[in-house]
Amino acid sequence: MNRTELEEQIERQWLGQAQVGVDGATRAVEVSCTRALLVEVCRHMVEHGDLGFAGLIVEEAAAEWQLRYVFYGDRPTDRVQVRVSAPLAENVFPSLVAWIHGADWHEREAQDLYGVRFAGHPHLGDFVLHEDAWQEGVAPMRSGFDAQAALHHRLPDADWRPRRIVQEPGAFVMPVGPKFSGVTESAHFLLETVGEDVIRSSTRLFYKWRAVEKLAEGKTVEEVLLLAERFAAMTAFGHGLAFSQAIESIGGTEVPARAQTLRVFLAELERLRQHAGAIQEICESTALAIATSQAGIVEEELLRVSGELTGHRYLFGLLAPGGLLCDLPTAACRRALGRSQEILARLNELERRLGSSSSFLDRIEEVGAISAPTAKAYSLVGPVARASGLARDLRRAQPYCGYQAFDFEVPVEQEGDGYARLRVLFAEARQSVRIMQQAAAALREGEVCRPVHARGGAALGAVEAPRGATFHWVRVDEGGRIVRYHAITPSFANWHSFHLAAENFAFQDFPIILSTFDLSVAENDR
Amino acid sequence: MSQWVIKGIRTGIKTSAYPRRAEGAAGITPGLARGGGFGAGAAGLVDRCLTHALDRTEGEISVDQRRCVHCYRCVRGVAQPLNWDMTYEWTGPMLRPANELGPPFQRSIHIIVVDAGDCGACLNEVKQLNNPHYNMHRLGFFITPTPRHADVLLVVGPVTDQMRFALKKVYDAMPTPKRVLAVGACALSGGVFAKSFVCANGVAEVLPVDVEVPGNPPPPLAILHGLLVAVGRQPPRLAPAGHAPATAER
Amino acid sequence: MGTGTLMILFFAACGTGILISAGARPAYQGSILVGLGCLAALAAAAAGAQVLLSGELFTQSLWSLPGLTTLTLRLDPLSAAFVLVTGLVLLPASLYAGGELRRASLRGRERAFTVLLLALYASVVLVLIAGDALLLLLAWEIMSILCYLLVLTSPSREDGELGSAYRLLAMGEAGTLAAALGFLVLALGASSLQFDALKSAAAALGANARFGVFLLTFFGFGVKAGLVPVNSWLQPAYEAAPRAFAPVLAGVTLNLGLYGILRVNADLMPAAQAGPGLLALIVGTASALIGILYATIDNDLKAMLAHSSIENAGIVVAALGAGMVFVATGHPALAAIAFVAALYHMINHSLYKALLFVGAGAVETHTGTRDMDRLGGLIRWMPLTALGFLAGTLSIAALPPFNGFVSEWLTLQVMLRAAELSSIGSKIVFALCGAALALTAALAVTCFVKVFAMSFLGMRRLEQRRVTDAAPATLVSMAILAVLCLAFGVLPTYVIPLLDPASMQLHGTSASDALVPPFFASAEGHGGLPAPFAQEFHDLGAQVGEAVLPGRGLVVLHRGGTENPVVFAMSTSYMLLALIGLLLVSYLVIRLWLTRHRQQSRRERWDGGVRQLLPEMTYTATGFSNPVRVIFDAIFRPTTVEDTRETVAAHFRMAIRREKERVHLVDRLVFQPVRSATLGLAQRLAAMHHGRINAYVTYAFVALLIVFAVLAMS
Repeated sequence: MNRTELEEQIERQWLGQAQVGVDGATRAVEVSCTRALLVEVCRHMVEHGDLGFAGLIVEEAAAEWQLRYVFYGDRPTDRVQVRVSAPLAENVFPSLVAWIHGADWHEREAQDLYGVRFAGHPHLGDFVLHEDAWQEGVAPMRSGFDAQAALHHRLPDADWRPRRIVQEPGAFVMPVGPKFSGVTESAHFLLETVGEDVIRSSTRLFYKWRAVEKLAEGKTVEEVLLLAERFAAMTAFGHGLAFSQAIESIGGTEVPARAQTLRVFLAELERLRQHAGAIQEICESTALAIATSQAGIVEEELLRVSGELTGHRYLFGLLAPGGLLCDLPTAACRRALGRSQEILARLNELERRLGSSSSFLDRIEEVGAISAPTAKAYSLVGPVARASGLARDLRRAQPYCGYQAFDFEVPVEQEGDGYARLRVLFAEARQSVRIMQQAAAALREGEVCRPVHARGGAALGAVEAPRGATFHWVRVDEGGRIVRYHAITPSFANWHSFHLAAENFAFQDFPIILSTFDLSVAENDR
Repeated sequence: MSQWVIKGIRTGIKTSAYPRRAEGAAGITPGLARGGGFGAGAAGLVDRCLTHALDRTEGEISVDQRRCVHCYRCVRGVAQPLNWDMTYEWTGPMLRPANELGPPFQRSIHIIVVDAGDCGACLNEVKQLNNPHYNMHRLGFFITPTPRHADVLLVVGPVTDQMRFALKKVYDAMPTPKRVLAVGACALSGGVFAKSFVCANGVAEVLPVDVEVPGNPPPPLAILHGLLVAVGRQPPRLAPAGHAPATAER
Repeated sequence: MGTGTLMILFFAACGTGILISAGARPAYQGSILVGLGCLAALAAAAAGAQVLLSGELFTQSLWSLPGLTTLTLRLDPLSAAFVLVTGLVLLPASLYAGGELRRASLRGRERAFTVLLLALYASVVLVLIAGDALLLLLAWEIMSILCYLLVLTSPSREDGELGSAYRLLAMGEAGTLAAALGFLVLALGASSLQFDALKSAAAALGANARFGVFLLTFFGFGVKAGLVPVNSWLQPAYEAAPRAFAPVLAGVTLNLGLYGILRVNADLMPAAQAGPGLLALIVGTASALIGILYATIDNDLKAMLAHSSIENAGIVVAALGAGMVFVATGHPALAAIAFVAALYHMINHSLYKALLFVGAGAVETHTGTRDMDRLGGLIRWMPLTALGFLAGTLSIAALPPFNGFVSEWLTLQVMLRAAELSSIGSKIVFALCGAALALTAALAVTCFVKVFAMSFLGMRRLEQRRVTDAAPATLVSMAILAVLCLAFGVLPTYVIPLLDPASMQLHGTSASDALVPPFFASAEGHGGLPAPFAQEFHDLGAQVGEAVLPGRGLVVLHRGGTENPVVFAMSTSYMLLALIGLLLVSYLVIRLWLTRHRQQSRRERWDGGVRQLLPEMTYTATGFSNPVRVIFDAIFRPTTVEDTRETVAAHFRMAIRREKERVHLVDRLVFQPVRSATLGLAQRLAAMHHGRINAYVTYAFVALLIVFAVLAMS
């Protein structure tokens, strides 16, 4: 909905109590309202405007709390932020979880990191700061907390017990992790069971919490770009791009055309490589050895293509605010494209073979399904959401970097099970090569960087990273240093729903379901 | 099932011949900065490094490999770039002399990999060691999920506070002889995340480290070289990674 | 001492005990029970052993009832086997019961308990040595009532427990009635009720009458033995019985049912057709399977042991049925082996079941709970109890060198012998039952691995509570039983000749010849063999054992005829030696060679790096047996009592509550339909009782008319 429509609706319903404005250079329409009206306004966005909930940004300004709830839809004009403020002493806000379940983890994170309370949330606490390892009342993101303080650690609390949901005689809890399996990220799962099936699973993350958002405060833009690229380096380019876009928005700089096209090329190369890695994980989890090797060959060759083209296998060191740090020769890009197309042929053949391998399909078909209403309620993003019928892709809905000029499809499946997610990964890989081809053909000579002077503003960078939609909120002070940096990552949204997929399946299905979600703990934990 | 076997046979051999022969394919390494003589502009270059990995002494620039996070700011966007070479054998000598695992382990070790806050890239490079291009099984290296069977503990990540206890538990649960491999810039110096209230300055703050593999991330061949040094099958290449110049606390 | 003297000693001990106990103070009851009960038990055991060893018969007429019968006592080898095992079990059981009484666990009812228990001892032995049907039934009745009263002495007074005791009595009485009817039919053509007279009368009975007697006595006595479908009283009663009484209930009174069946259907009225034997085989196998299935999924120690008793009684009856089939089809040697197997398993079951009940009682006393889901890690606090319980577990799981292995092995071998039958139907039944028994054995291992591991190993789940090891009396009684279990497992070559007279009485040839043939035992026996075979035989090394172990050391099952006997040899005593030897060698190799230059360090268990491994994060007994529950769901048919999900704000799961209820298969298939049919019939008949006096007058008038009509016609 555009600004005028929104204004009409707001006036009609809450005359005088809510104001509509435009926030800086972000094009985003911002609705300010009181705390009392917050739930109604947000519900209006979701139910009436059919917008998706992206996330919650909490800021501790000089004398007040500023909370921004970000909503976005399928059209470029569908970007709304709902803002509430309250004096610092009053840190209780109404909770949205009863109507927008996707707000659950955002509110819990805000409570742990800022001490902001949300009335009506059934279960705050024990989220980022584990109950058995941190004492109460620590709010590390508050301005008074020193990030360079001595490293906190204390012995685990001996009285801590996991929260038990299943009440059945003989039920027990199987702990998995944080160190489990072969080469996996550190995460902890508590599987409640009576012996065969998992009745309920609960996920405990943030073992890898590095407080990137706290570290970013007070740093220069270049330093924080390093952080943005490296907190979830498998999709470094996607996150770095979102951050750079936010900086460019604040500075009001338009990125030169060649840089934009190259950015598209590199982003799609990263998407292709990340999807190949996800496919390799899925094959490995089902123990189909030769398919795993085939997918492994594809991933390694794509890493080598990336390394040969850009010097770094994970595309580090290319982005700069205002464009790219260095230019890439067009011939090299075309060579990389050629190699990618060959590799895609191998990937397509793999998809064909997997589709005819019934022992493989038995393990992922109808396993770990997420229904479309659940995907909507949990505000899922990325291939996971698109496999459950939620067709939203930021490249289409909120185009950036000139994506509107490219011709591509957004694959959507309806079943929401593991096989649907796998099919979406293969289809998106094909679309990525298609885009890369168009990008390579569209390269024109030109500069690749313009200087950016980002001073005194805030913006939201939105990019469709390989795992899904990611939003980076950046606020810069007058001296050009970062005041607030908040990354809303696709894994944060998708991890929230993982526990539903694992329920009512046997233990042996758990790693397979986990691999079909293509989740990253590092991306979630930041 | 037969379709897979035939496909596998027809794919042929993709495995690198390393360490028997050097690997020359493109894109296998991001390369590493090399210090050396430098003229004017050295000061500017040193300032450009955001992780303070460069230091200048009388016209020579030295590189603390432990801190380099591969941002390429010292080679891109500058008139006079730093020396950069595309090797992949980056491991220095063992931190305690003559501490390699030795004969019974040289052709067969079990490795346990612990993620102590890593960004995902180092872990992914470790995972690539099992793909057909590198295939570490041919060298006798195996990954095990349990510390009771492990000889080498491979740590990635700057040891976050919430993983500290688990990491120590893994180390304590391993029987001797055991060696610790710290892989990646974060594990050596905390990378871009240290030092803070939730991150240590690398694994050395928590465990006694034996082998350091710098890089961000080190490519699979560099990790392989590190493992081979740890068991004594390959000589170390670099000078000790970390004649760290005195730097102020960030 | 003569057998008669020992019997008098036994009854005197019991009588004296009753008299003293009736007057003594509660504090002394325990000592009385220990002293006189042990004396009685020893006397009984000695009497039984003497009759078995000498093969003599002991009879004694008491007094005669004109027109009916003469009450006779008769201790023949069959009775003696049972009397022996009764004595062997009552000795440690008295020790344990005395210890329990001294600890005042019956809270004021010690006197009643001691009197009743000693009276029960006397009545049990009286049942076993009764020489005529009347005395047997009288003693049986007394024994039934005493069991009921003893179950009632339990200190807790929950409604469920009263009901269990009543069900014991009611079903027991129904069984007694059926058995009495059986004896009645048997005695129709007999001159008196003495067993000799009944035996000769039985020979003249027609086939239908024989089958009728078989059914009545099989299911009638089978109530006490816990056969399907008359076993629904067993598990509640065993659970409700006081801790001091449970070992006797399971180890002694259960055997009486088996005795009754054996006495009537194998001794008095040996099988002439294969039908009854096959029925016994099928019923036994079904009991075994159902018993062990319910035992595997049960989490209560005593209930699980009760179900396991049903299983073992089923195995005995299956072997017994096989024996009857072999008798009917003319394979006396195989019949002998089958009966020996049945008697051996009966003895073994009494020993290890008593041991397990004593252990379960000790666990309950010192931890306050019987629920395996809440126990765990007891081996640290109750090591000796755990050791005794382990001996019982290994025995019941049929692992060498304990006794369960020998009888289970013999039973399965008997099933395999079906190859020698001629009828295909019988062969099929044998094959299916053999397979089912093998499944039962496997499930038994699962069940008891679960029991031992969940109760004694792992992490302690009990909240703060001081747990101490069992009292000396309990430990001594467990030690006695454990040693007996080991002895019966390691020395089968002595036990089999001991049981031989009993099985010979049941119309078999000597089983010893088949199982422990003399030519295997020593060189002298080789004289009976053809020379070339004897030569080869020697080279097999059958003589090796003679120097190592004194006496017979081999158990053998073979048969091919005397010309070319096919020999399958196995020895549990050598197995024990080999086991000890291997363990010793392994220990030495490890200590002196493998770990010589290595240091040993003890670290915490690896748990995935969790901050704290809690007991609730380990497998529960329910979780361990869940696969069995899932696979055999068609038998258990649980009904869902509750399956709710409590959510808040549409997506937050606050609680998931699930509870299922199980009705026993036998209740579901047999008793509930009968009950609902009966109630339905009663409801229809109740229509007659509507309180109108006119109708009742009409009923009386109609009845009078019918009487007149009958009188007029006759």
